[in-house]
Amino acid sequence: MRKIECEFEADVLSAVMQSRWPERVDPELREHAKHCEICLDVAAVAGAIECAREESAEFARVPDALPDSGRVWWKAQMRARREAVQAAGRPITAIQIAAFACAMVLMGACIGATSSWFQSGLTWVRAQIDSGKLIPDAMALIQSHGLLAAAMAAMVLVVPVAVYLAVGRD
Amino acid sequence: MFRELTYSDVSRAKALAGAEVSFVMDEEAFRGFYDRNARGLWAYLSRVTGDRQLADDLLQEAFYRFLRAASNAGGEERFDSDAHRRNSLYRIATNLAVDARRRSFTRPAASITGDDVERVAASGYSGDHGDDAARRADVNRAMAQLRPRDRAMLWMAYAEGASHDEIAGAIGVQPSSMKLLLFRARKKMAKLLGEKGVSQ
Repeated sequence: MRKIECEFEADVLSAVMQSRWPERVDPELREHAKHCEICLDVAAVAGAIECAREESAEFARVPDALPDSGRVWWKAQMRARREAVQAAGRPITAIQIAAFACAMVLMGACIGATSSWFQSGLTWVRAQIDSGKLIPDAMALIQSHGLLAAAMAAMVLVVPVAVYLAVGRD
Repeated sequence: MFRELTYSDVSRAKALAGAEVSFVMDEEAFRGFYDRNARGLWAYLSRVTGDRQLADDLLQEAFYRFLRAASNAGGEERFDSDAHRRNSLYRIATNLAVDARRRSFTRPAASITGDDVERVAASGYSGDHGDDAARRADVNRAMAQLRPRDRAMLWMAYAEGASHDEIAGAIGVQPSSMKLLLFRARKKMAKLLGEKGVSQ
């Protein structure tokens, strides 16, 4: 089985991190590392990462390189408040949509109860259903007025979406 | 031109002012935590993503998500130490960095540009760029060829001095597999460094 760790790698790492590697370490450790693949890798990689870390630290130390903690706190507060308001607004939007739907149903019921042409239309539909001619007649109507039917179907789909967007954005 | 204020605008502004926002720590504690960790975290993010601009954005996002996640999940008592808070912050940052790299996979990994060097030099923090520039460039190129997860592991292990458990927590793997994963990442990096003639 391939060896994946060495008992001396922590010592090598510590020496690299403290900039003691390889000159200022125990000669036995240096001798061991010459023949240990793991310790050699640790020394090479830790040294390279330390070099990269110093470079990054220099960039991070540049004045104004990072936002001030007060500014980050303030922005976090504002964002959290905005999200809280949005979250609180979601049920209101749903209630507004439900109220709109109820109003439409109520309006339809009023028209249905009071309008004579609507009542005669309903009687005609009932008669058609009873005679079994409703579906063929409807198909014929769609074929003869296809564009109008498509426009009405689109209206049925588009109007609720438009109302939702208008209410949601307001 | 300014538009007229509507009733909704007014109610939204009132709600914004009165919205209850509770974070896991108060401003003073946050500022201390930020000042202790922001530079290290930025360095980590810039190395893992290979993009300093992205690291700037992810730094603030990580701190924000830390504040929100911690306050949603039980508050200050969830953390028993600063190290615990730090681990949580790094875990959030790692997830953000990996997600960001996935989204912008075609972006080249950033290395130091001439402008950056001048900016550091002008700031008075410049050290020995003349002697080390070539070595740093080789190290940057070697790191850029690693996968983000390997970069994250190596950085946490050798720049942050994190334990295997801490690294496993941050990158979301089992602690028991950390030794092998770290060994493989280190091997890859050593090979790349060897190809570029970089040695300790």
